[in-house]
Amino acid sequence: MGASRALDLERFLEARGLAKKPGGDLLSGLGARLCRASELPSPASGRAVRPTAIRPLDRLLSGGLPEGSLVELSGRRSSGRFSLGLAALAAATFAGQAAALVDLGDHFDPQAAEAAGADLRCLLWARPRRVREALAASEMLIAAGFSLVVADLGLAPRARFLPDAVWMRLARAAQAQGASLLLSTPWRSSGIAADAVVSAGARPVWRGGGAAPRLLAGLDLRLTLEKFGRVTPRRAESMSLSVPEAVGSQLSAFSQEKPSKSALVRLMADS
Amino acid sequence: MIRSRLACVFVPLFPLAARLRSEPDLKGEAVVVVEGNGNAARVLTASRKARLSGIEAGMTLPQARALLPRLAARGRDAESERAAQEALLEIADGFSPRVEDGGDGVVYLDIEGIPALSKVRARDVAPATLLPVIPRSPRRGIPSLPAEDATPPAQGLPSSGSLAIARDDGGEGSERRLGCDLIAAVEKAGLPARAGIASSKLAARVAAGLPDSPRVVPPQEEAQFLAPLPLSRLCPEIEIAATLERWGIRSIGDFARLPPGEVESRLGTLGRQFHAAARGVDPRPLEPRLPALALSEGMDLEWPLVALEPFLFVGNAALERLARRLEALGLAGRRLELTLKLDPDGCDTRAISLPAPTRDVKTLRTLVRLELEARPPGAPVVGFVFAAHPDKPRRAQLSLFGPPALSPDRLATTIARLASLLGADRVSSPRAADGHRPERFAAAGFEPPAPPELARAPRAGRGLLAVRVLRPPVEVEVMTSPRPLPVTGEDRGEGAFPLRLLSIQSAPGTDPAISGAVRVAAGPWSMEEGWWSGTPAARDYWDVELSEGGLYRIYRDRAGGAWFADGVYD
Repeated sequence: MGASRALDLERFLEARGLAKKPGGDLLSGLGARLCRASELPSPASGRAVRPTAIRPLDRLLSGGLPEGSLVELSGRRSSGRFSLGLAALAAATFAGQAAALVDLGDHFDPQAAEAAGADLRCLLWARPRRVREALAASEMLIAAGFSLVVADLGLAPRARFLPDAVWMRLARAAQAQGASLLLSTPWRSSGIAADAVVSAGARPVWRGGGAAPRLLAGLDLRLTLEKFGRVTPRRAESMSLSVPEAVGSQLSAFSQEKPSKSALVRLMADS
Repeated sequence: MIRSRLACVFVPLFPLAARLRSEPDLKGEAVVVVEGNGNAARVLTASRKARLSGIEAGMTLPQARALLPRLAARGRDAESERAAQEALLEIADGFSPRVEDGGDGVVYLDIEGIPALSKVRARDVAPATLLPVIPRSPRRGIPSLPAEDATPPAQGLPSSGSLAIARDDGGEGSERRLGCDLIAAVEKAGLPARAGIASSKLAARVAAGLPDSPRVVPPQEEAQFLAPLPLSRLCPEIEIAATLERWGIRSIGDFARLPPGEVESRLGTLGRQFHAAARGVDPRPLEPRLPALALSEGMDLEWPLVALEPFLFVGNAALERLARRLEALGLAGRRLELTLKLDPDGCDTRAISLPAPTRDVKTLRTLVRLELEARPPGAPVVGFVFAAHPDKPRRAQLSLFGPPALSPDRLATTIARLASLLGADRVSSPRAADGHRPERFAAAGFEPPAPPELARAPRAGRGLLAVRVLRPPVEVEVMTSPRPLPVTGEDRGEGAFPLRLLSIQSAPGTDPAISGAVRVAAGPWSMEEGWWSGTPAARDYWDVELSEGGLYRIYRDRAGGAWFADGVYD
């Protein structure tokens, strides 16, 4: 039984007076009130947000990455999470903010980041070799005052189990500095420390075939909000990512919206 | 009125001269220094041999090569130019304590009362009374010394420089001798040079640009010196030069004779300043550069220290003294040198470069701690000296409406700590690099620009799919169809042929592990680069989707036939 089903059952029983919380009478006599954790205001709610310029992700996170919070983005290989991290960095550096990328695995491509619109002068690139180095570097960068730190833990980090205290420490550092820490992991790692958890899944999109040459057009992504504050909204958004080199990539880049006539004319002129 | 005399040392064709100083084998050859890449490169300067072949500045490299096929072309080398300028300044420092860096092969010296000039005067005064008076050129106001290069002075007689002294001309001869000494010293450092001496920077610079060098302009005769020279010597703005050309004014003297008020009313403020320059009026003072300072603090210890904490305790006080001295000067440390005296003898010197100038004691102490923790000295310490190389401090300007700027001190400390944790080469600011290899990148020091005054609105994301680059590429074994498909359509180039890819398997233990049957494959696309270099790359690329869901970019190395995965679409 999922957590939401259990809560529904509990509410149903309470409404009919069939279940009482232990200690409820004792505490209510003193003017106190018992409530569920999910009913408390979310730590991430009410904070200023830092837009990632990826509209589906911003919609899921109610506007963008909350300041002073840890957001975990998890997904297996080719789920598009690396592209989303670059997009967040591009949005922050374009706005003139200093941002940092902790790149476990040395996967960063400056050319791709520049194509995504990043101002590389505002970007600090740290290339740790181990998970512990990556986490230590992330904490240092948050403490230095970087407004956005993207910690990418690579394809499959070879690390033993990390205790929750490690992630809590990172979350507290981000909260203290008002920084946004975007943690990109192949599987859920940060436990209860993350203020928001988004999982990404993707399906490749191919074009052509048969007599026509086959081309990779991009990825169709499905982003699911697994956790936001203390609730599990399970909201989902879909989006597309396009391969820059693919013919017609400009058209796919407009996939979030209906392409304008001028964009189509420009595309036809380019091709 | 205090009379000041200035010397200007000028290195003609400075980019070329600096390059030839670095590559002396090219001297006497037809060489050009170009700016730009490939066929768009343009000639910046050319050697005499190249100029005799008709090559001029501004030509493209193919145009120059069409005139002279065996032309040696070199790109502009900023490091060579910096080193040459530094050498020029060091030579000037040897002559005068007040030296201004004019940039790009130009140096100004205040020569009034310097010992070198006094020495020359003292050497030349003795035979002065024996010599006839040399008539002065009425037009230029400088002594006529045509025979200097042609006929050496007679034995026992002073040189032509002494002749000027002989007629008590105010020291022009000694200044000329000083100019010769300056030129000789610069040429000894591998740079051709010219020198000019006058009472203003403008006149000295113009005099240094003339071919017969050294050139001495007597005091108060700047206007007479400049008058016969063409206007181009003053380097006017293009618009003003065009206007004067239309007015029929060719020489500086013609322009200087125009009424100042009329010039200003027609040519504006710029024209007024230019007119003043033509009359020899140059109010710019010499701006001497600050000598390289190195502030040091240290102490000899009464007993040897073997642990880090006690050392940092005593070292902290020295760092605080150093920071106070820097603060008093309005400077900050750009580089910190630490010299440890070891027991029983020897010393250990190390330098800590700071990403940003700082005088924050806590930052400096942290950096010293990290340095000593990373490389402990091999013996007990009995003394130490901290030397700070100062620079102007970088200030973080707070913005009311823009994003916050990083604190330079905190940034410096963080970068140093990251460098200590990860390695100095693994902390940088990325830069795009030219080329086609996907794994390419360039790195630079992290020096973020000042944040914008107003926060910029984020622009919509471009929705591009990025590739995780695998550095180094992962070698994989690729099973292909035993029967290649027939080639259809256009020729896909040498070595590229259609293959049916069946499965991919990386070697056991590789990171990341790649394994699976090929679900969809697209390719090949050829990539060739660096065939002219020692590390050529000739690859055929495929995009493949594996059964496990991963989307990879793989390639076959045409030289060895091996397969590699060099990226994951993610």
